[in-house]
Amino acid sequence: MSEPLNTRLTPGTGTVAGFVERTAEAFAASIPESPADDGFFGPGSVTWRLTSDLSTPIAGLRSLIVQALHPLAMAGVDQHSDWRRDPVGRFAATSMYVVTVAYGDRPAAERAARVVRKIHEHVHGTDTVTGKPYRADDPDLLLWVHAVQVESTVRAARLFGTSVSGQDADAFVAEMTAAARLIGVPDGLAPATVAELDAYLAAVQPELLLTQAARDTAAFLLNPPGMDPELADLWDDLKEGVLASLPDWATDIYGFERRDVTAERRAEIRQVLGVFDALTLGEPGVLEARQRVELRVREARASQAPRE
Amino acid sequence: MSEPEKKRKQPAERQRSVGRLRVERGLAAARLAARGGTRYAKNAPRLFRAAGEQRQQLRNDLALQTAEDVANTLGTMKGVLMKLGQMASYVDDGLNPQVRRTLSRLQDSVPPMSPQLAAQVIREELGKDPEQLFKEWDPEPIAAASIGQVHRAITEDGQAVAVKVQYPGIRETISADLNNVALIRGLLKAAAPNQDVGALIEELRERIREELDYQREAENQASFADYYDGHPTIRVPKVIAELSAQRVITSELATGVRFSEMLTWPQSEKNLAAETIYRYVFRSLYEARAFNGDPHPGNYLFEPGGQVTFLDYGLVKHFTPAELKPLETMVRTLCVDEDPEGFRAGMVAAGFLQPDAPVSTEQVIDQMSVFYDTVRRHGTQTMTSEYSSTVARRFFDFRSPIAPYANIPRSYVIVQRINLGLFSVLAEMHATGDWRALAEEIWPFFQAPPSTPMGEAEAAWKKARAQ
Repeated sequence: MSEPLNTRLTPGTGTVAGFVERTAEAFAASIPESPADDGFFGPGSVTWRLTSDLSTPIAGLRSLIVQALHPLAMAGVDQHSDWRRDPVGRFAATSMYVVTVAYGDRPAAERAARVVRKIHEHVHGTDTVTGKPYRADDPDLLLWVHAVQVESTVRAARLFGTSVSGQDADAFVAEMTAAARLIGVPDGLAPATVAELDAYLAAVQPELLLTQAARDTAAFLLNPPGMDPELADLWDDLKEGVLASLPDWATDIYGFERRDVTAERRAEIRQVLGVFDALTLGEPGVLEARQRVELRVREARASQAPRE
Repeated sequence: MSEPEKKRKQPAERQRSVGRLRVERGLAAARLAARGGTRYAKNAPRLFRAAGEQRQQLRNDLALQTAEDVANTLGTMKGVLMKLGQMASYVDDGLNPQVRRTLSRLQDSVPPMSPQLAAQVIREELGKDPEQLFKEWDPEPIAAASIGQVHRAITEDGQAVAVKVQYPGIRETISADLNNVALIRGLLKAAAPNQDVGALIEELRERIREELDYQREAENQASFADYYDGHPTIRVPKVIAELSAQRVITSELATGVRFSEMLTWPQSEKNLAAETIYRYVFRSLYEARAFNGDPHPGNYLFEPGGQVTFLDYGLVKHFTPAELKPLETMVRTLCVDEDPEGFRAGMVAAGFLQPDAPVSTEQVIDQMSVFYDTVRRHGTQTMTSEYSSTVARRFFDFRSPIAPYANIPRSYVIVQRINLGLFSVLAEMHATGDWRALAEEIWPFFQAPPSTPMGEAEAAWKKARAQ
């Protein structure tokens, strides 16, 4: 894949119509057909497994809602991003970036990162809430966004997707330092173990704040306007999953009610995720893209397995 | 509203076609006579080979290797959605395009089991490895069977067989997903917005549960095989009970070409195949009081001369005489007695229509008669896709004047698949025949003499089996 990011995405409509279509399109376009190399993670990685997990819609929404709690990160998005005009396009572009970094070959991942870093250069200003200046390429903000995404992926998979052992979680956090480096987090700054990740998230909490922009963002993601009635029903279940997956501190800052999800509800939310997954599979190119990934995973497994 | 094409023939044309018909009849009769009753037992290696040549394109490189792979591929609603898709796959109207696309992609997305996984299921069910149980065993499947796959084998006593093996864990996975009625209801509503989904949900759930039960399927197949034993054109592979279990069905290996290849045959051959399908559906219903609810192109194998093998007994509905009687009354009053009030009374008696429905009998006939078009008229008619989609549309039309007072009682939901499936299959074949004459042979209240050579051969079979 040699196209620059975003060019394959169709223009947005300002509503969430086309959510499934456009995230599917982004996914299919980001899985290379003839990769130059195995990218930064490779077919045997935890990253490959978790980036296609059933739980990724929950991981994605949860990430955005938690990330919005950092006032400077939120200000950058609020003042510069077009997400209000085209939320689905913004979501699709983000997932395209994540998928490209995960499964793309190194040149594709580096190219995608370059594009995003270029955009970040122009994103700076003053946060009206705290009065503090911000820059999107500030390593602290990049680290925040990175850490929340990594933690959300593990948490969502554990609740609603495939099991993630402690060892897998550590491996994933360590693998993800490569993604952090790509986006501009200086070496050594990104957590390399689950313990480091947890320590970072605990330490950063005093900086977090519920701004109006964060409130709006969360409200929008949890109750998107303009959805087909059928999709809206499914979204309600997804929303419950997202709320249940939030860390307690984030739930408290938002003033949401802390709630656990019963095993039965968890199974039902998984079923809804399965329906989203099936709808995604119905979009052009998605099945073929997944098969490309699966075949490479098998090839890697076969070459590692001891000969009988 | 379009109607089935009715061919009114001019005298000269009629004479030519009678001449052609006579030749066709002669050929068909010769083929029927040539058919031996013992062909399955003989030449097992040839049958085994032929089945290999008919092997479907399967993604063996993506084969499922563990029960966990099965759950990841078909769990979290995907198996349920796939079954729903199979139900809806031959109904073009009333289904939103994204949903239709998703359902057909889901079917493409299921790879076969690896040879090891299939062998593991056989071992769990029958106690031994397939290589020990069979004289010859092909570890690569020859066909996909939605929640399982089919292997070819030769038994110890030299019979060529098809062994259907169910994916491990699929019963548990799908059963759990079927419990989420609210979600299924929402999905059906989204798939077919004009439809009253209550009765359909129950049909779907029960249908899928039954399909997961291979033991029940084997019993049904055995009873159909028994009923049609020796039939001149209808074939039902016999089940080998000692090699069947909860997740394995072993039955005679059938030969023949698939639906798509049969469609390339001359029209006269397609008409013969259609006649066999028609006879099979209605003989089963009216005489065996059983309906194989899956009139689906994938479930037939064809050989020239109207020979059709009917596979897959995953959904068979058995009727009591009392359940069948109202259907007979309705067809008789509408098509034979031409008694609209009698038809309406029959609908009420069956529970299709509320007794005090404030609609005129004319409206009732207007709405319902389309389902009977092919047997209301005498003479040769061609099944067209316009007709089958009109029928499907009418079935899914919940805005008609009688809709608020109409209902499909639970025991008849399955029979509606005649309207949705059978007509669509026959339309794809451009099947031409005198459906009324065939129906008159089969209707219990009519019992007309044979109207075709196949009918004559069938009458001889009936006579022989009555003795």
